[in-house]
Amino acid sequence: MKTVIRTWVVNGKKRTLEFPPMRRLLDVIRETMGLKGTKEGCGEGECGACSILLNREPVTSCLIAAGQVPDGAEIVTIEGLELTPEGQELQRMYVAKGAAQCGFCIPGMLVASYAHVTGDHPDNSDAALREAHAGNICRCTGYAKIIEAVSAAADHLSHDDEDDDS
Amino acid sequence: MSTLENTEFLEPATLAEALRLMADESTRATPLAGGTDLMVQWEAGVRPPPARVLNLKGLAELADLKMDGKTLVIGAGVTHAALRRSTLVRKHAPALADAAATVGGAQIQALGTIGGSIGNASPAGDMAPSLLVANAQAEVASVRGARKIPLPNFIVGYRKLDLAPDELIVRFHLEAMPDGACEGWRKLGPRAAQAISKVMGSYRGKMENGHVGAFAVALGSVAPTAIRLHGIEQWITGKKLDANTLNEAEKRAAEEVKPIADIRSTAEYRKWVSGRLVRGFLEHLASAG
Repeated sequence: MKTVIRTWVVNGKKRTLEFPPMRRLLDVIRETMGLKGTKEGCGEGECGACSILLNREPVTSCLIAAGQVPDGAEIVTIEGLELTPEGQELQRMYVAKGAAQCGFCIPGMLVASYAHVTGDHPDNSDAALREAHAGNICRCTGYAKIIEAVSAAADHLSHDDEDDDS
Repeated sequence: MSTLENTEFLEPATLAEALRLMADESTRATPLAGGTDLMVQWEAGVRPPPARVLNLKGLAELADLKMDGKTLVIGAGVTHAALRRSTLVRKHAPALADAAATVGGAQIQALGTIGGSIGNASPAGDMAPSLLVANAQAEVASVRGARKIPLPNFIVGYRKLDLAPDELIVRFHLEAMPDGACEGWRKLGPRAAQAISKVMGSYRGKMENGHVGAFAVALGSVAPTAIRLHGIEQWITGKKLDANTLNEAEKRAAEEVKPIADIRSTAEYRKWVSGRLVRGFLEHLASAG
């Protein structure tokens, strides 16, 4: 079994890893790096539970051969979100609004939320928030509380920006 | 754990190197870009693990997104996320940007590429109709040289391409939308996101003095490949879009398609929806044009 060596920035820290190149990025995250917060749901790119940020874009890590991720790539997993103000605010609002029930989809859901609130010119209408989470499936909540949580977090974060400007 | 760990992973640094690997039977490999179709099929055992994979992700030569005169040039490696964000695509082929925005969810859009979608040659592929109404050509390359093929001659059948074993899809060339024209895209699936289409399509049209000056319409999932509806296109050109004409157009469009029944829908329903989609496009054209 041939392996490759890659150096990535994972949750802000440089990490050098060795793995077979066709191993799924999801497996490298969970097994090679031991970051178990990222979940496997369907393994087919449908449910979004394995979502992570790759160079700031949300992607399903079950569909990526880890060898396809080049040296220098930036990876943020659920473990990295709480290191950021946006991640902390989302975490607070998910808790405050009761957005998590069984919790299995929540790491992927939070990654989608984070990608939305940190994106360029985020549109925080209900339709836009729902579309931003359209790649994440939850079987408990009916989504309403998740969308409420993201909406509240987005609201707080945009007011913080105004405070910074003044 | 993955079944792919014995698959050899080839990492060309340039397109030229990729084409050299494809030219030699001992290094020829399955091209892999976004992985949204192939990784699923391999992991699920629908397709046997390949001996070799050729990684195309990140190849600079496949990342074009530019105007060349009146032609919009889109590299095969451009993702759906990049298509929907691109101001060039929004301006010159808006139905393609709209189609890209309805593929999967944000995570799939960030991975899947236009080259992969066309290369997969599924009749349910969401990229083909918008390319067809823009008279797109596929450009393919091998060490023997490059060639451009009009899309209807490139996607020759159900999951079949006019692509030699040593060739790779490199980019697409689209006629930019003319001044005063407009486009539209509609997709009908079981739900808004993460769904494979039952029927979908695009149009490009232009009104001239209250009459249809030009109308191109293409539908997917109604035939083994996405198709242009030349019958309705010719019939409607020059006509005024009054109620009788719209009724007749809807009927003719439904009759022109010959869909099949499968797990996603019935033939009857697809015919009915095809008529409704074409009618909706004409109404959109009448109000926008």
